[in-house]
Amino acid sequence: MFFQQVINGLSVGGIYALMAVGYSLIYSLLNFTNFAHSITVTIGAFATFYFLAQVFENIYAGIVFAIIVAGILAMLIQILGYSVLLKKNAQRIYLLITGLGISTMCDNLVIIAFTSRFRVYPANFSTKAINVLGATVGTIDLIILAVSALALIVVQLFIKKSRAGLAIRGASYSLETASIMGINTQKLILIVFLIAGALAGLAGALLGAKYTAYPALGTNMANKAFISSVVGGLGSITGAVIGALILGIGEVLISGYLSSSMRDIFSYTLLVIILFAKPSGLMGVDTGERA
Amino acid sequence: MLEYWLGVATLTGIYMIAVLGVSILTGFTGLFSVGHAGFMAIGAYTSALLTKTYGIPIVLGVISAMTAALFVGLLIGYPTLKLKGDYFVIATLGIGQATKLIIENLPDITGGARGLTGIPSGSSFTTVLIIVVVVIWILSNFLRSKQGRNCVAVREDELAAASIGTKVASYKLLAMGISCALCGLSGALLAHYMQYLSPSMFSIVKSDELVMTVILGGTGSLTGSIIASLILIPLPEVLRFGAIQEWRMVFYGLLVVLVIIFKPSGLMGNKEFSIAGMKRLFKNIGLKTRHGRVK
Amino acid sequence: MQNKEAIEAILELKHVSKNFGGITASDDICISVPRGHIYGIIGPNGAGKTTLFNMITGVYDTTGGEIYFKGKKINGLPTAVIAKLGIARTFQNIRLFGSLSVYDNILTACQKNITYSLLDSLFRTPKCRKQEKVMAEYCEELLEAVGLIEYRDQQADNLPYGLQRRLEIARAMATTPQLILLDEPAAGMNEEESIALTVFVQSIRDKYGITIVIIDHHMDVIMALCDHITVLNFGQLLANGSPDEIQTNPDVIEAYLGVDDEC
Repeated sequence: MFFQQVINGLSVGGIYALMAVGYSLIYSLLNFTNFAHSITVTIGAFATFYFLAQVFENIYAGIVFAIIVAGILAMLIQILGYSVLLKKNAQRIYLLITGLGISTMCDNLVIIAFTSRFRVYPANFSTKAINVLGATVGTIDLIILAVSALALIVVQLFIKKSRAGLAIRGASYSLETASIMGINTQKLILIVFLIAGALAGLAGALLGAKYTAYPALGTNMANKAFISSVVGGLGSITGAVIGALILGIGEVLISGYLSSSMRDIFSYTLLVIILFAKPSGLMGVDTGERA
Repeated sequence: MLEYWLGVATLTGIYMIAVLGVSILTGFTGLFSVGHAGFMAIGAYTSALLTKTYGIPIVLGVISAMTAALFVGLLIGYPTLKLKGDYFVIATLGIGQATKLIIENLPDITGGARGLTGIPSGSSFTTVLIIVVVVIWILSNFLRSKQGRNCVAVREDELAAASIGTKVASYKLLAMGISCALCGLSGALLAHYMQYLSPSMFSIVKSDELVMTVILGGTGSLTGSIIASLILIPLPEVLRFGAIQEWRMVFYGLLVVLVIIFKPSGLMGNKEFSIAGMKRLFKNIGLKTRHGRVK
Repeated sequence: MQNKEAIEAILELKHVSKNFGGITASDDICISVPRGHIYGIIGPNGAGKTTLFNMITGVYDTTGGEIYFKGKKINGLPTAVIAKLGIARTFQNIRLFGSLSVYDNILTACQKNITYSLLDSLFRTPKCRKQEKVMAEYCEELLEAVGLIEYRDQQADNLPYGLQRRLEIARAMATTPQLILLDEPAAGMNEEESIALTVFVQSIRDKYGITIVIIDHHMDVIMALCDHITVLNFGQLLANGSPDEIQTNPDVIEAYLGVDDEC
């Protein structure tokens, strides 16, 4: 029972991590919370659903489609929404408001286009339970865990090994310095949005498979990613993953042993406790004001 | 029919108080919140439960509502407003959601998701109108004072504000306190007007609407927030058919993005309506034509 | 001029150092600024001049050493507290309250003599009105004195560059400081503008008796204004002395004057 819960928790945490890493990447580079992150998650779930329903009934193909659609959407959000403000070095609050505007607009367009109904994927991962070390574990949870882990490793390798990854890491210390050193920061920002969108699309596709696709999915789940990031330390990628796993396992254990209605209360309580006890998070560093 | 429109006007006044609160926080101090409907909920349920269950007078209920919202606001503001970064924003998101969840999960006390009924009636049109006028008067006083100017300085440039002796974190906390107390007041008035409360009245969408109303009215203009409230709050009552509510939100979202990109200062800029201001405006036009270098 | 020993030091830096993650921005700096002087700090880019200002105003903490203002240790205090003690400053990349009018920029900075409470301001009590009136008159006078009165209602961001610099100095003066730190006030100015600035800075000291510490690259400005100059190079103190002494100091000529005079 406990082992099964932990696996389930890790799969939930893995999905949270996908969203939290994308959020943290943008935050570490540009220093603002991308409130439009949630819409790429929702679109990931709906893209998968419509692909499965109308194009081809294969969940993996559906996931790939979701990643592409969400990645493109994230880049569009940067190009049409944020880029103007970033170029004129607008105050951070304007970026937050723009994100809020975009997500309000898109959330409601999704409701208009798809209605508020809950959509079940016509094709899904195997729902069979298999026996691992004497415990019954859902195949779907194992697959989600594996896919999330794989995606995170790919992103990690990209950031650690590739030239663009190196540039991202450099620019997260100072975007201005990076730009002076001849790095094309506009392109860099676009790459980061693409990665964040693709990860969010994947998360949305997996959430749709685990639960269902519905318009408020992104908002509900992106909140968990924000909490994960604060628990781990805002802007820290490793912190985001750790925070997401803590949150995922904690939520599953709480709903397993207490009640499922306590699950979200747990998440928000954890947020409040962290903000009081260690506001900079588990891995966070306090940054001083630069004059 | 008159009664209906009087009702719309009363509701507009009630929500305007919350918008004015958020205006101080977001428009004047430059802090962003996505959870202020939560403070309305805290105020609403505090006053509703105290007056309904313990039979205390509504006036005391409303004062308790403001105090409770203020207290919770300062509690989450204190640790997060000292930090650089978006900790405060995430905290407001958390408090907005947590408040709703707690109300939903305490059905014995709050009526849960099904709602709370039988709240004593108390917010008449006249009462609300008087309170709105008093709130506007107090806020415009505040903005013309040292404390108000310091809030604006924090919005403009935190480091420059500190360099003239402004305690940045304290003024952020002050703005947070004012906004929370006003949202608490608004929530309590709502409870005593509707005589019914449910957690869905204080969803995250409501929080977003508060912020968007402030933005569209113009950051840093009380007049702008008032005008935007007068236009945008009754709008859902005027447009009440089918999917039109969703289209309304699509439109708000789009408008907010366009405003931020093309005219970040919103409808009113940071101007206030005043007689002296009109005079100065004309003088300014004259000045601009002969503005040159100083020797 | 006067006998140097007789003048009390308003600002003293004693063996001040600053490290940024292993990089030394300031190393064992000792400076003593006499009250009433105009004191220049020069040095090439990256010499640690602005870092020094940031430590004096509490934006950065010092890694080592102490800073005294009027004999009171101030390092470790928050920026706002140091400002209230009487140190005002300007910034290398102008930081005005951009969307406010010239007048409001000044008025916001006038807060030292305001004693009314939050309740007074919420209900605009007679106490509040009276103090506000005094402040308003003071601001008008100050604007008049610094030559900005005709731009009173213009938005700060829309002012020409030279006037933005002037306004930033005026805002610093509005806090009624005893010491003003000017961070490259002549940066980006043409000759005409920098001469006007020289006259202006001189007048602040002469009229209000405010001590001034000035960082700049414009040698003509520094030499014309300063009673005393400190030269920094790579975070270290290179030389100390009167303008004449500095101009003839071989180390300085080698490190700075000869190499990049008008950069």
